[in-house]
Amino acid sequence: MAENTIALVSFLLTLMVFSYILGDIPLVSVLYRSAVFIFAGMTAAFTLVVTYEGLILPYLQDIQDRSTSWTTLGHSADIYIFGAALLFGLLLLLKPFHALSWLTNSVLAVVIVVGASVAVVGALSGTLFPLLQATAALPAGITQDFSAMMDRLLVFVGTMTALFYFHYQLRANRDGLAQGSRLGQGFRHIGKAFIVTTLGAIYASTILTCLTILTERISFLFQFGA
Amino acid sequence: MGRAGISAFVAFAVGLLTLLSLLLGDNPALFGGQPGSEVLAERLALPGDVLLRLVVIVVALSIVIGIANLLYVHVGRVARGKFYSAVLLASFAFTIYWYVTNRGDSSLLEAAQVPIESALASLLFFSLVYGGARVMRKRADIWGLLFVAVVIIVLLGSLPLAELAPVKAWSDWLMAVPVSAGARAILLGIALGTVVAGVRAMLGQDRSYRG
Repeated sequence: MAENTIALVSFLLTLMVFSYILGDIPLVSVLYRSAVFIFAGMTAAFTLVVTYEGLILPYLQDIQDRSTSWTTLGHSADIYIFGAALLFGLLLLLKPFHALSWLTNSVLAVVIVVGASVAVVGALSGTLFPLLQATAALPAGITQDFSAMMDRLLVFVGTMTALFYFHYQLRANRDGLAQGSRLGQGFRHIGKAFIVTTLGAIYASTILTCLTILTERISFLFQFGA
Repeated sequence: MGRAGISAFVAFAVGLLTLLSLLLGDNPALFGGQPGSEVLAERLALPGDVLLRLVVIVVALSIVIGIANLLYVHVGRVARGKFYSAVLLASFAFTIYWYVTNRGDSSLLEAAQVPIESALASLLFFSLVYGGARVMRKRADIWGLLFVAVVIIVLLGSLPLAELAPVKAWSDWLMAVPVSAGARAILLGIALGTVVAGVRAMLGQDRSYRG
């Protein structure tokens, strides 16, 4: 596609999306909605292309090539795995038939629990242990720098109290009413302050990102107009 | 065992096998480096490897089925005279035609997908600023004040003005200490939640696959 055509299409589509700012005027809202549906159609098409080119095609090529093997079981095992995956894919199509939907559910169960297992291992080894270690460990030589040590202590206290904020255990008092301890309530308030601060910073960072993109789009519109 | 029980049993067996294989496989150090430990670790990694390959292909096929379902739904809507569904189908068909006739050419992505995506993201700016202003009107308490104060400090701290150097220092400290602590706690909470949700799915407590 020629560069001018790319710029013209970009210009028109950007204006179509920005027409949203003008509000719900019948003829103008058609432009915004059309842009959104164009986006949905293109995204579906690109997803299909990427899924075919990045996943299905390489696997198809691999099972035709006898010199490759996905596992230590050899090439013939690859054909069985691919065949089983195709069968599972066909079973997914049985969902509308109520009497056979348990077959689809079994396939979905396999997909969900394998995904869950990967997520559990990833959460344990990729987030939980490294983050706990990084929060609790003291860097070498930090004892000589008082302010750095205080910051480190604050990070530790903040992490622990913010985690405690999600702790909802209450005890029954003499009248049988639920009651939290005062100390726990104090920790929860400190934790909430850290969480609100974090959410505020994330919110501000998102505003900055969107502002940067908006500036880029507006400068593109002016450049094209010039 | 009922049909629902079969799905639950399959989930438990496959989940346990995958989890053990991922945790113990490909890690000979776990077996004390004794003779044959490498072969054992390789064998333990095998079920996880096979199941992951299988699931990746099934997920790819389910994406194709999902897109086919999207097209089927919109073809039905076009038959009922819905204009926007026709727009969606036309853009889908044009993109596929473009991909088939111009392989390796990413100009359609540059001309249409990226501008719409970035224009939509930039519209979010107005919603976020409006939402921030509404926080103070709807929730004028200590937490609302703290939230807005942090937003203002971080926004002012990002401005490249020499007069705002103290605010920049304050913003940097906020990001390095309290925000870092809160983010760590949120990430730890997500990780703990993931572990609990994963184990619940494996034990058949959370049967979202029943649909």
